[in-house]
Amino acid sequence: MKAVARLVWSYFTGTPVLRACTIGGLVLMIVDFYILMTQPHSGEKLWLAVMGLSFFFIGSALMPVMFGRLARSHAIGVLPGGRLKLLISMFVTILVVAIPVGALAPASFISGNSSVPEIMKDPRARDYVLQLTGITFTWVVLFASWMYLAMWFLTSQRNMAGLFKGLLVITLVIFAPAREVRDLTVTLSWNLQQIAVLWTVFGAGFLLWPRFKVARARRNRGLSNSLGRALAGKTMGREFDVLLGTSNPWLLTAALLLPLILATRFVGEFPAVWLFFLTIFSVVTGALSGQAGERSRALWLRGDWSRASLFAAVERSIWRQNFHVLGALMLFNIGIGVYAHFSATLLMTGVPLLVLGTLLSTYLGLMITRGLRWLEILSGIGVMLLLMFLAVFVAREDVELVTVFSLEFGLAGIAIALRFIARRRWTQIDWMMCRPDRALTARGA
Amino acid sequence: MFILNPQSGVPIYRQILEQVRRMVASGQLPPGTALPSVRDLALRHTINPMTISRAYSILETEGLLERHRGRPMTVASQARNHSQLPKRLQQIGPLVEQTVVAAKQLHLSEAELLKDIRREWEQNDD
Amino acid sequence: MTDATVEASNLSKSFGDKQVLQDMSFGVSPGDVIGVLGKNGAGKTTLLELMLGFTPPSAGAVRVFGHDSYSLPGDIKVRVGFVPQQDELLDQLTVGDQLRVIASFYPHWDSALIDRLCGEWGVNVHARIKSMSVGERQKLSILLAFGHKPELLILDEPVASLDPIARRQFLEQLLTISADGERSIVFSSHIVSDIERLANRIWILKEGRLDWQGDLDSLKESIVRLHIRSTAPELPAFKIPGVLNLRRDGAFATAVVRDWTPEAQETLEKNASVQIEVETLGLEEIFVELHR
Repeated sequence: MKAVARLVWSYFTGTPVLRACTIGGLVLMIVDFYILMTQPHSGEKLWLAVMGLSFFFIGSALMPVMFGRLARSHAIGVLPGGRLKLLISMFVTILVVAIPVGALAPASFISGNSSVPEIMKDPRARDYVLQLTGITFTWVVLFASWMYLAMWFLTSQRNMAGLFKGLLVITLVIFAPAREVRDLTVTLSWNLQQIAVLWTVFGAGFLLWPRFKVARARRNRGLSNSLGRALAGKTMGREFDVLLGTSNPWLLTAALLLPLILATRFVGEFPAVWLFFLTIFSVVTGALSGQAGERSRALWLRGDWSRASLFAAVERSIWRQNFHVLGALMLFNIGIGVYAHFSATLLMTGVPLLVLGTLLSTYLGLMITRGLRWLEILSGIGVMLLLMFLAVFVAREDVELVTVFSLEFGLAGIAIALRFIARRRWTQIDWMMCRPDRALTARGA
Repeated sequence: MFILNPQSGVPIYRQILEQVRRMVASGQLPPGTALPSVRDLALRHTINPMTISRAYSILETEGLLERHRGRPMTVASQARNHSQLPKRLQQIGPLVEQTVVAAKQLHLSEAELLKDIRREWEQNDD
Repeated sequence: MTDATVEASNLSKSFGDKQVLQDMSFGVSPGDVIGVLGKNGAGKTTLLELMLGFTPPSAGAVRVFGHDSYSLPGDIKVRVGFVPQQDELLDQLTVGDQLRVIASFYPHWDSALIDRLCGEWGVNVHARIKSMSVGERQKLSILLAFGHKPELLILDEPVASLDPIARRQFLEQLLTISADGERSIVFSSHIVSDIERLANRIWILKEGRLDWQGDLDSLKESIVRLHIRSTAPELPAFKIPGVLNLRRDGAFATAVVRDWTPEAQETLEKNASVQIEVETLGLEEIFVELHR
């Protein structure tokens, strides 16, 4: 159990940046809790807690990556109950993240409606508060489980398959738990059932994975090899792209479209949510361009380029891929828009959003030339929040075209600034700092 | 032909030097014998060829080996004679020193040691 | 001076406030095979990657074929080969594809050589990299650096995961490469016996500095263990220049010294009236003694 505790501790305190996030988030939440409990009708102060929770969640963002690395390491198979302890540590982390929310929900209810002593006297109110706590807590556990799972797929697999799985999970999350909250169909027992099923399936799969790998290794490799070659795409003539990871835009497009189609099928009625979704998916390009720094290491010694001209070549390669994705997304956007009878205004303002999303995330990713640090994380989060806010804003009924377009121009300006920064940073790119494990090896993970 | 130990504290070139000198002096390498080429030797023992060519160069300077264009190095025809007495004695020096030191440690007298050596000499005459 | 393959002067590197390399000056000449030894964390990888411009120096400069490493031009890059410590293989490709991809970047790629080595080293051209063992991956990484016949080959722990037979094959190939005396090889390894076979020069990295830089032969002749015996019952007090490690035991003493010469032996034997027996040390022993 000590091993589990140590694991959980290291998830939250992985690097100095994340440690600061964890502590900052915790402080904000405690402060808000105190305010809610002692001052009546202070429900508006809940935003403090939301911010705190976001930071707290970010503080544990390293968890899926560390989880992935440990799961694949040799040591975990050798240590007694290694995989089980790892699994438990992930569950405990989720519980820890859920506790603040579980405490804040009833606190905000109490603050908005009465006070603690009053609640304690009334049995019905007490029951209600308890139920609220239970439902909120279990819902957050469920939601967090899905989100971490998605992050694990996205970060530790580092290829198309992982991307695909991660996006699929995010789609399902928006579908099931988020939708229930929106429709107010959440119940305690249903939450518990979902948690039970999810964790049983995931837990069983995780623990049995080693045996599955052995069994799979014995099977005929022929089919998987030819499939792999097909997925890897044409390599002749596109070797630069192959090394950079941008050689198969069709696969990326397919990986994005499939979850998108699923999402549209289930949440297609609400333009706001739908646009929000679309924006998120155009952000995927950022994940890929974020890897460009690392992957270009293999290109440094293999061509007559300076760091500056390498940036230009990398940028070209990424945009060649982006065009495919953007093209597909835009067609999809317009197709769905016509089918769902979106207004022409919505279409006109929505398409630039896609372009903006791709632009912004591409250059945010290209800014990562010395590993992920404060600047990159904060600017990434800031810009993405702006984009999502714009997406929701655009879908409003009463929106003014002028406002929307000026906001979009503003964001385009930010994108150009980001490109300038990225290009300058590339002239100083330091490949020894780009290593993905740098943050983790520093902690001896 | 050679017994080379890369892990020894004695540099490889020196090992080659000692062995060639000894073999030439003892007649194991008669004049005119071709020595393996640097490259062959390097590959056979998996060692750096530069250390071998260093040894060969030194031996050439000492007059023990002769270089020929396009052919492997050979033992010089005057090699045996060139190996003068002091040099040959120098070859055996370390062994003599070890023997004397060991004998002293065992508290053997000079006479006892010499008697032993004489006996060994006679026995080894075949 | 400008004939040197690599030249570094007062090279320093720090990451943030952590100083990894301090004030290093060294050179690599054509035909050199340099073995780089050092404890884990001594800065070997940093040194090798600095030499090729993957990271900028914090102070000083390093030049390859006369050009500053940080901005190597293309015609120099084709003359250089590098095997990094962590491989850069793409899991989804087959061995053949990976070779073809890398080969496409070089105008002169010796496919015949690579095919032959794949056969000799047992590398399956049709295997998918994802399914390969660590040893096979390492062999492939090495092959990727051989194909364009570089004049300067830099390898960072290239044989860490290879079995003795594979290592021997690799050493033989390196020997063949360096046989013409024009190519230079710099490689770091923990396997001291390999370095002893192959290297003619040794760099010993200790705490970010080049503790030793010179011929392997001179190193072995210069760092020795002395067995000192006194004729008197107690060993008199004496001073040995360049001593690394000294142990006294009554009338005996053992000392490991550096920069040893036969003259030093004579002087010491006369001045301190002791008898000295010199024991030569293998490279691993020398390395350990330098780090005591």
